[in-house]
Amino acid sequence: MEQSKKTVNRQSIVFALLHGATYLPATWLLKHHVVDPPFSVILAIVPVVTFAIFVFKLIKAFSIMDEVKQRVQLEAIVIGFSLTAMLMMLLFLLSLCDLSNPVWFSYGHLVGYCWGFYFIGWFISKKKYGV
Amino acid sequence: MKNTIKVERAKKNWTQADLARHIGISRQGLNSIETGKFIPSTVLALRMAKVFNTTVEVLFQLDDIEE
Repeated sequence: MEQSKKTVNRQSIVFALLHGATYLPATWLLKHHVVDPPFSVILAIVPVVTFAIFVFKLIKAFSIMDEVKQRVQLEAIVIGFSLTAMLMMLLFLLSLCDLSNPVWFSYGHLVGYCWGFYFIGWFISKKKYGV
Repeated sequence: MKNTIKVERAKKNWTQADLARHIGISRQGLNSIETGKFIPSTVLALRMAKVFNTTVEVLFQLDDIEE
């Protein structure tokens, strides 16, 4: 049981790394227009697929976590999601009055902010429950 | 919510890691329950009572303010 828990946790970490390993090069290649349009579409889809697999593995890892860890993850995700939704709402409202800064708040940056907010939530929740 | 996990653990001369292993949670998770930061589920409370050969009421009590 303990072994299978470790395996499932390791798989989610491996797929997180795999996603990072596909997302960052894909971003660079697409940004610098290294590849032609038909292939660029495939290149844009690959990180999404690896992310979907990572999420699947993460959900599997959640299901075998003990209840304290599950609570920590749940709160981290709630905090991360709420802060991301608030940021998106604020950016949308600011864009309505022609106030936007794509240098710092583009779609790409939002992905980064979303992860940042999740880790903030994780840190807060870990502190709260002392785990 | 108050609990007597530490007392029951001492009676058996178990460490947090020992009890955590018996009830199938992490040591940090058990520490969180023992210090009252996290309220366990009914299943976990019953599992804990079973390994101590006692009842949930002995292990967990409402605070005076909660009663």
